[in-house]
Amino acid sequence: MATAVHLDGITKRFPGVIANDDVDLSVERGTVHALLGENGAGKTTLMNVLYGLYRPTEGRVVIDDEERRFESPRDAIDAGVGMIHQHFMLVDPMTVTENITLGNEPTKWGNLAVDRDAAREAVVELSDKYGFDVDPDARVEDISVGEQQRVEILKALYRGAEILILDEPTAVLTPQEVEELFEVFEELTEQGKTIIFISHKLGEAMRAADEITVLRDGRNVGTVEADDTTREDLANLMVGREVLLDIEKPPTETGETILSVSDISVDDDRGVRAVDDVSFDVSAGEVFGIAGVDGNGQSELIEALTGLRKPKRGGITFRGEDVTKRSRQHRIDSGMAYIPEDRHERGLVMDFDLVENAILGSQHNPAFESGGRIDWNATRSHAEDIIEKYDVRPPNPEAISESLSGGNQQKFIVGREFERDPALVVASHPTRGVDVGSIEFIHEQLLELRSRGVAVLLVSSKLDEVQGLSDRLGVMYEGEIIDVVDPSNTTEEELGLLMAGEHPDDDDTDVSAADVDSVATGGESQ
Amino acid sequence: MEVSPMSEENTTTLFGREFGEFSSRTTAVVAAIVALAATFAAGIAFPDSIAGTLTDILTSEGTLSSALRLSVPIALAALGGIFAEKSGVINIGLEGLLIISAFTAIYVTDITGGVWIGFVGGVVASVLLALLFAIVVIEFRADQIIAGLAVWLIALGLAPFASQVIYGRPNSPSVDTPGTIAIPVLSDIPFFGALFDASPTVYLMFAAVALSWYVLNRTTFGRWVRASGENPKALDTAGVDVSRIRYAAVLLSGVLAGMGGAALSLDLGQFTGNGPTMVNGKGFIAIVAYLFGNYNPVGAFFSTLLFAGLDAMQTVLQLQGIGLPRQLIRIIPFVMVIVVLAFVGRTRIPAAAGEHYDTGDDNR
Amino acid sequence: MSVGDRARDALARLVDASAAERILISIASLVLAIAVGTVLILVAGRMTTCAPSSAVYYFNVGFCYDPVLVFDRLFLGALGDPLRGGWSPDGQFAITMRETTLLIFTGLSVAMAFRAGIFNIGTQGQMVVGGLAAALGTLWASPFLSGVTGTLVLVPFGILVGAVFGGLYGAIPGLLKAYAEANEVITTIMLNFIATGVTLYLVSDVFKDPNSPANQTVPLPDYAQFPALLFGARQDFSLYALFFGVVTLFALYYVLEHTSFGYDVRTSGIQPEAAEYGGVDAAKTIVSSFALSGALGGVAGALYVTMVIGKFQSGVPAYGFDGITVSILAGNNPLGVGFAALLFGVLKSGTTAVQFATDVPPQLVGVLRGLIILFVAMPEFFRLIGRRLVKPTDQSKTIATDGGESNE
Repeated sequence: MATAVHLDGITKRFPGVIANDDVDLSVERGTVHALLGENGAGKTTLMNVLYGLYRPTEGRVVIDDEERRFESPRDAIDAGVGMIHQHFMLVDPMTVTENITLGNEPTKWGNLAVDRDAAREAVVELSDKYGFDVDPDARVEDISVGEQQRVEILKALYRGAEILILDEPTAVLTPQEVEELFEVFEELTEQGKTIIFISHKLGEAMRAADEITVLRDGRNVGTVEADDTTREDLANLMVGREVLLDIEKPPTETGETILSVSDISVDDDRGVRAVDDVSFDVSAGEVFGIAGVDGNGQSELIEALTGLRKPKRGGITFRGEDVTKRSRQHRIDSGMAYIPEDRHERGLVMDFDLVENAILGSQHNPAFESGGRIDWNATRSHAEDIIEKYDVRPPNPEAISESLSGGNQQKFIVGREFERDPALVVASHPTRGVDVGSIEFIHEQLLELRSRGVAVLLVSSKLDEVQGLSDRLGVMYEGEIIDVVDPSNTTEEELGLLMAGEHPDDDDTDVSAADVDSVATGGESQ
Repeated sequence: MEVSPMSEENTTTLFGREFGEFSSRTTAVVAAIVALAATFAAGIAFPDSIAGTLTDILTSEGTLSSALRLSVPIALAALGGIFAEKSGVINIGLEGLLIISAFTAIYVTDITGGVWIGFVGGVVASVLLALLFAIVVIEFRADQIIAGLAVWLIALGLAPFASQVIYGRPNSPSVDTPGTIAIPVLSDIPFFGALFDASPTVYLMFAAVALSWYVLNRTTFGRWVRASGENPKALDTAGVDVSRIRYAAVLLSGVLAGMGGAALSLDLGQFTGNGPTMVNGKGFIAIVAYLFGNYNPVGAFFSTLLFAGLDAMQTVLQLQGIGLPRQLIRIIPFVMVIVVLAFVGRTRIPAAAGEHYDTGDDNR
Repeated sequence: MSVGDRARDALARLVDASAAERILISIASLVLAIAVGTVLILVAGRMTTCAPSSAVYYFNVGFCYDPVLVFDRLFLGALGDPLRGGWSPDGQFAITMRETTLLIFTGLSVAMAFRAGIFNIGTQGQMVVGGLAAALGTLWASPFLSGVTGTLVLVPFGILVGAVFGGLYGAIPGLLKAYAEANEVITTIMLNFIATGVTLYLVSDVFKDPNSPANQTVPLPDYAQFPALLFGARQDFSLYALFFGVVTLFALYYVLEHTSFGYDVRTSGIQPEAAEYGGVDAAKTIVSSFALSGALGGVAGALYVTMVIGKFQSGVPAYGFDGITVSILAGNNPLGVGFAALLFGVLKSGTTAVQFATDVPPQLVGVLRGLIILFVAMPEFFRLIGRRLVKPTDQSKTIATDGGESNE
């Protein structure tokens, strides 16, 4: 077998950051190679170097035994390297064919027109060859995420890619779609293509790859045969220490119902139903978790509960008051804290300093405002309290939020929300993109609130997190909560199936849904 | 920004809301046609009523030919605006491009004696100003709206300044005009004959509309322009240089707006530079026209014709001595634009319009 | 916190890196615009013809226009020639102050909207509407009062009426943006045309002064106009109005920085998603910011009527558009608006001085205005030059993240 890709001593420096440090990587032709590592380990940077988006500070890129210097992706494409980014590089209002041929359109009349028939034919031919099922005339914005991914792969193949790089290809897929993708991998490698895919999920790497390279802090810490390794070994390589993600959770008494959601339906930005007839309750002193693959309606559900999106139908009762039509401000004032999933967009005003951000949401609270005037002294000492108590670094209230690391930004948000003295905390992906130390801290804080009798609604796509923290766990699939389980009596496999929309005993679906309803307001849906 | 796709040929939209918007735009068009038909019916039945006069005006060749003449600068600038904005650069400086080309065309005609040399001169001036705008926006990442505003203000000062320096007053002397070209036989057709007895710039406008539609929808360049405004990163990773496409699109908007400005002043044979100059907001109306026409060159042309038609009508109405004062008829197109923006269809602007695109590489 | 601490605190905020950079960029833009203007004057001076005796010579080449004289007149002339002795506040300086006063209000109008993330090009229209309303309101009320009482009541009343109507007219694009998602850049441009058209109709027909051929209202009685203070009345400038403007500058600064309304406005302006998260009612904030912006424009209109021309007349000068320039140059900071308004007041008033002393067409100032905006809009250009000057080998640029969530 020949070596398709050889990266030799790649170092990539950004001002103040070393993203890749002397990384070697070899991939055999016709194999699947997984690039494994935590967020920020330098996986994507390394692949961007291979794809010509970045030029390496030091080191060589060798493709098919020939050293290459890529000035731009165009050069990489010419050398047979194609990349499918995590965020798809597709033009939504254009058709599948237009997207696949973009930049390489077949032309007629001496370049005066795109030969649309030839383009369509080429796409049909290509998708037949690899057994893909895509409609060449569909608009990209109308097809599913899985199909869009296949369009991306076809786009690379159309450009003559022999080596395909996929950046976190499974992050947006359901377990079935993941399985289908891996079948595509097999089909492609059989036809001689080489695949490198980036992942931070051990199981996937072991399932789909022939060889696995683990990156940590920008360095290659080991390349192993997938068949000769164990999950534990890989986990140790990734993190560099024994992984202890067992969460100690003392039992608590649950109190009255704090949040009650009944038969709620919510549309997404495009007007498509994203949440369909969902009901559940959260009581004081319990953590109610919602698990699911990203994009199954969790975001829209949370936005409806917190007052950022109007539900189409259904009701939300918070502390005995119907808040369905009440403003976001009203919900904040009545004790609803919210850790949003996107701290850069919502959680913090990035250009504000921490003092200003400390009152985001309580700028009209009498503690900080009287007669329309904000008391900046009180605000400042509040910010200092949060910084001290939640160990935000640097401990400077005048620091501009943008200058903080992600973990510290998140700790500040968590602190601000917890210090509201809330009755309910809605935590949406509270540890996404956060370092391990901060994850543990945030978990402890959530459990601390629970023991103080606060109701917690936790949404996360990390199974170990929702499973470890939740007292009850709802699984969301295509806008519905298809089951509510006791996480301590449920295996990861069972949850995986539920997240894929497969109910273990399908006959009982109605019963469990009814269970949930009866816990709720007990009536409306019967 | 609004996210629902709304293109004319898109009748297969799936989601309720889009369908709703589509149908509301359709409703507006149908309502307009019904109202027009009713006016005609009433006008034919009662020739002496106001409806009768209106019918006379609407069906008179004079109205159509002056509407076409008024359309030329607006439609051409609108086409330019489409290319720029489709590529992701909002060119609010169209007004400035029209002003600078209107003056330069007259000036060059005056010194060379050739109308068409002057025309080319106007286009060149507009392209140079567009190039300045492109460099500022693409190279130096200036805010597109503010830079566009600057382009307008610079031209608004520069053209009368130059006229004052050269001619000693803000208005130029008169020069030759391109005249009109009448196509035999066709120009004798009642009403539509106006289409075939017009200034060459009117024919130029027809050609530009057709050509723009073709380039945008049938050529690789047009496709790249659209991709550059929707998802520049997709285009970049497909190996096409986004900056180059945006430069080309902005320069093209300079060419088209330059043709519009040159046509505006040459058809009258004079540049007037007092106050808002002879361009007097046409560049801004062009923006509204292409938004109203949903970035489709043909749609932009028809909405231009609608605005120009209203403008032409008010002149004729004036002569007929009909009730409404001139100043109020003048504002009808502006009121219409607001009503349309607020209540009828919303235009989906290109996803990446107004945003600077950075390749994200530190090496380039 | 002591007063001293507060002052130091305020000063620290004022001179933090980004503010300092902004001031530097504004000054650099001005200098660059003057440089380009100089070239323009020289080129234009070669294109036109004049008697050899009136030409100036640089490097043995004759030019009809002298840039040194032009900029001398433009700046020193506008200030009433403070260096020549015999300076009097009544001359050109009063006109400069008058222009500055009006520009403070239109500049604040634009800045207010900008801070809420709104591009209000409609200040001109709001000013026109406010001006006509102030004129009509004052004319309606003036028969009931007279003398000093009349002035004390009618002048504030006129300003109030102007503010209310300007605010209402400003609320229209606000409502359209908040509830119909209509782009405010387009609606405000349209509303400018509409305001001009409707007021022209009104003063050429319904409210026309029968004794004048011009399209204008009846003149306001003297006691309903702004009284002059220290300065002579001839230049139509009142120091009271300037005081009012300066107070408004600080008031708006206070509102934006120290009130919860200001907090809501600023949050919506820089990060609307975060504002929504923080419980800010987006629609309400848009409408109220727009209304406040319109009210400031309306006040400018009222001042134009009660201080400058003493009636409403069609063809209101483009103070509203100049307000955009002022605000952009000031980085949309209310205190910065004071300085920027002074600069543009000098430019506008200096135009007349230039016209007196030279043959250079006054439209030059319009070009300078456009150039200043253009340069202010491209900070990247100055950063590039700055980097070259400071550290030729420095290749720092923003850190490119590698696509994922790995900024950590």
